[in-house]
Amino acid sequence: MDNVRERVPTGIEALDNILNGGVPKGNTVLITGSAGTGKTTLSIEFLVHGAMAGEKGLYISVTEASEKLLENLINYDFFSKEMIQKGIIFIDIPEIYEKLGMNKLQFNLDDINILIQNIVKIVKEFNVKRVVIDSITSICYRLQTEEKIMEFILRLSKALSELGCTTFLVSELLPSAKGYSQYGVEEAVSDGIILLGNLERKGDLLRTLRVVKMRGTSHSRATYVLDITSIGILLVPLLKGGGEMYL
Amino acid sequence: MNIDELKKRLKEYNEPLSLGINTSLSAYIDTIKLLMDEFTSGKNIHLIYISATIPSRSISSILEIYGIDEKKVFYVDCISHLMMNVAESRENTVYVESPTMLENIMLKTQYILNKNVKDVAVVVVDSINSLAIHNDMKILSEFLHLFVTFLRSRNSYMVILSIKEQATQEIMSIINFVSDETLEVD
Repeated sequence: MDNVRERVPTGIEALDNILNGGVPKGNTVLITGSAGTGKTTLSIEFLVHGAMAGEKGLYISVTEASEKLLENLINYDFFSKEMIQKGIIFIDIPEIYEKLGMNKLQFNLDDINILIQNIVKIVKEFNVKRVVIDSITSICYRLQTEEKIMEFILRLSKALSELGCTTFLVSELLPSAKGYSQYGVEEAVSDGIILLGNLERKGDLLRTLRVVKMRGTSHSRATYVLDITSIGILLVPLLKGGGEMYL
Repeated sequence: MNIDELKKRLKEYNEPLSLGINTSLSAYIDTIKLLMDEFTSGKNIHLIYISATIPSRSISSILEIYGIDEKKVFYVDCISHLMMNVAESRENTVYVESPTMLENIMLKTQYILNKNVKDVAVVVVDSINSLAIHNDMKILSEFLHLFVTFLRSRNSYMVILSIKEQATQEIMSIINFVSDETLEVD
């Protein structure tokens, strides 16, 4: 039986069913997969449903300018772009780097502190309850060592969790990757892992989703096929007809 | 049974069920026409037509000839993409790239149900024989079993069409397994 930990529904009905009601509040979840598997869409939908429920969202864009992201964002039937802009704060991290004088290739522990403090400041200022960092891999690239990556994720997770924030860290994987994250550390320190992938079956390419780990709740570990639609992400169980899965 | 008897039988159903209809090739078009007419006219029922045999455009043209209103009909077209025949987008049609993408057939049906259907829906699979050409029997059985269960949970019907002349023993076994009743139409 699950402990009665408060849940944060993702708003994606099937995913919430898989998670027995949603992500346990305060968890830091790695949304991981290779390009084109739906990581950003899933994360944005998490924020959109939060905003609809009156929970402010923060989207920290590391790799793509948020303006461009919004242009290419799927038009949800249930939420307009104007409403997204009202309920979600979009921040491009290069602007933070610029402001903090952190335009360098490698971060030290002081830089990590400053970055976390600034994210926490925004969360406090706007009473943010849902955070997405897209992608954590790009930040990790500047941290370089496993120790620093671990330090960054652990401290950020703790700080956000204490503020009642549920956080999605988007992780980029190469299709040939064996684990669930680029540096191997991200998956170990996260409370949850949602793996998005592509499955090739007889020449067809299916988008898939699997909850690999989620602390604080029992959950299905089955693989589901995913569709990105104007009414949000839909999932159905993967039929066991064979096929080779790759990330 | 003949088409008139099928019509009478369809009128008797009051609760959502899964129905197998094994129709002869000569009665195939009449069966489609009857299903469309019977399930959509004057009732609060939407019909989702999964076309794996004939492109949805052709089914639509047939209905037009017979003067059947398509207002409550949606198509999940699994064959036009394969034939590279998706020149125009139609408001009541969603396309699945290939009849081998069975999960996507369920996903597109779910999409139509969530977006457009507030009440009961009838999902017609046309046909199990065509799906059997593109998929092995094990995955096809699994698909139909899951699909029927999903539709029941949505208080909706499923009608699985089979063409008698193309139906193997294995296909009939699947239909009998997932259907509450199988009807033979000549």
